[in-house]
Amino acid sequence: MNNTALWYTTRGAGAVSLVLLSAVVVLGVLSTLRFESTSWPRFLTTGLHRNIALTAVVFLALHIVTAVVDPFTHLGWLAAVVPFSSYYRTFWLGLGTIAFELLLAITATSLVRGLIGHAAWRAIHWLAYASWPVAVIHGFGTGTDTWSGWMLVIDLFCILAVSLAVGTRLLVQSPDPLADDRARFRERVSRKVTK
Amino acid sequence: MENANANDSRIRARDAATRMLNRITAGVAFGAIAGIGLVGAVSAYTIPGVVSSTQGATAGASTSSGSTSSSALQSSATSVSSSSGSGITVSGGS
Repeated sequence: MNNTALWYTTRGAGAVSLVLLSAVVVLGVLSTLRFESTSWPRFLTTGLHRNIALTAVVFLALHIVTAVVDPFTHLGWLAAVVPFSSYYRTFWLGLGTIAFELLLAITATSLVRGLIGHAAWRAIHWLAYASWPVAVIHGFGTGTDTWSGWMLVIDLFCILAVSLAVGTRLLVQSPDPLADDRARFRERVSRKVTK
Repeated sequence: MENANANDSRIRARDAATRMLNRITAGVAFGAIAGIGLVGAVSAYTIPGVVSSTQGATAGASTSSGSTSSSALQSSATSVSSSSGSGITVSGGS
C-alpha cells in the first residue's frame, strides 16, 4: 500500500468512524429513553448500540493505525497513546487521542460491567458525552476534507442527529421501569405508618 | 394452553428481532467498509494530494511564483511538497 492510499484510508476511516460514533450516541440515548415499538423491541436498540460501538472501535483503530504508519507524518505510536505528544498538529491530534481513549474506557468498562457495578459503569459511560464532541472538534481541526462540501454535509448530519437525540434526552424524562412497584411500596409503607 | 401460545409468539418475536439485529449489524459493518472506499475515492477526487505537472517539475519541494502555473504537489522522491498557487494540504494529516 503506497503512502497516498494510506492517507485516503485514514481520511475515509475517520469520516466513517464519525458516522458510526454518532449512531452509537443516538442509539445510546434511545435506549436510555426506553424506546420501543411493536416491530422494534427495546433490546434491538441496546444490541445495536453495543454492536455498532464495537464496530466503531475497530474502524477508529484502522483510522489510527493508517495515520501512524503513514510515513509522511511520522506520527509514531506514542502520539496515538499519549495526548499532545505529537510534534505534528499537536493540539488537534491530542484531542483525537483523548477521544479514542475515552471511548476505550467506555467500551472496556461496558464489557466488564458485571464486575465493576452499575454505578461505576454509568459514571464512566457519561464520558461518551465528552468523547463525541472532542472527536468532532478533532475532525474540524485536523481533517483534510473538513471544508469539502461532502464532508460538511456528513458533519452537519452527525451534529444534527446527536443534538436532536441529546436535546430529547434533556427534555424527556427517562421512564422509570419500577415506577409502579415504587408507588405500591410507598403506599403500603404510608398505610402502615398511619395505622 | 393460552400461556404456551403467548410464550411461543414471544419466542418467535424475539428470534425475529435477533435475526434483525444480526442483519443490521452485518449491514452496518459492510456499509462502513464500503463507506471507507467511497469516502476515500471522493476525498482522492476532491483533494488528491498529487497534481500532474505540466512543466515537468522534478524537485520534491517546489514552489511556483506565478498563479497560473502548476507544480508537482507531491513528488515521488520526497513526501514534502507545497505549492504557493493552490493553498491546499497535499498529503499527511487525517
